[in-house]
Amino acid sequence: MTATTRIVEIRRNVLKANDAIARELRERFERACVCVVSMVSSPGSGKTAFLEKTLTMLRLRGLRVAALVGDLATDNDAARLARSGALVKQIVTGTTCHLDALMVRKALEDWPLDELDFLFIENVGNLVCPASYDLGERARIVLLSVTEGEDKPLKYPSIFKSADLAVITKMDLAEAVEFDADAALRGIDTVRPGMEIRMVSAKRGDNMASFADWVEKLGSARSAG
Amino acid sequence: MHELSIAMSIADAAEEEAAKHAGSRVCAVHLRLGKLSGVVKDALLFSWDASCDGTSLTGARLVVEEVGGADLELSGLEIEDA
Repeated sequence: MTATTRIVEIRRNVLKANDAIARELRERFERACVCVVSMVSSPGSGKTAFLEKTLTMLRLRGLRVAALVGDLATDNDAARLARSGALVKQIVTGTTCHLDALMVRKALEDWPLDELDFLFIENVGNLVCPASYDLGERARIVLLSVTEGEDKPLKYPSIFKSADLAVITKMDLAEAVEFDADAALRGIDTVRPGMEIRMVSAKRGDNMASFADWVEKLGSARSAG
Repeated sequence: MHELSIAMSIADAAEEEAAKHAGSRVCAVHLRLGKLSGVVKDALLFSWDASCDGTSLTGARLVVEEVGGADLELSGLEIEDA
């Protein structure tokens, strides 16, 4: 008897697995009335310092905030963020270069989401892979520090296109590194025309209040909708 | 470079589909890869064997057809009936 080969037709979308979990997360966040904001950037762009300051400021405004933070190894960032007094959890991804919706769902399993106003998700430092993964967030922020070079948006357009707000960090160092703000702003506008931008220094406090206002507005827009 | 985890998702999905045809062996897995999906064909092919290792798909080829759009679709299984 000879073996016969046949082709079975299937139509099954593989990338949609993450999207389905992200959709489920988004619905859960809606029900719990928590506004979820994710942050992406390259390693060392100041995500954690920026987030620590943001958590502290929002807490001072009487808002209930929490953060999930992703890294390949260590819980250093979670320890730093916990200093703000917010509820914080580290997701250790091992060798994975991004967070996906399943990791977020797992990390949130035992969390009282309805006791929160805002949840921040700090992605693994990486300007490539996180662009492809919806985490169920309400908005995505991409950070770019003045020490990185003004043409980052042009080199990594997908991540900038996937984000809702661009934040330029470490403005306190701008002069020392001869940061060309116009070039950076032009680059962002080229890949994502009309994108809102904040130029901040978490260390000195520049424009942090303006960013906190943006977050608060995002939260109220959501609960109104 | 997240193609390894994507290759593993494809292998998982293919194994589930293959289980519906008990007793047969999968020779090839057919995939439609959208040009805008952000998934790199070569990296996917490179990760494929490792993703199948130790599963019922061991030895199965990955046949990739590049198409328009942003989807990544498992489009068929080439199976050998015993």
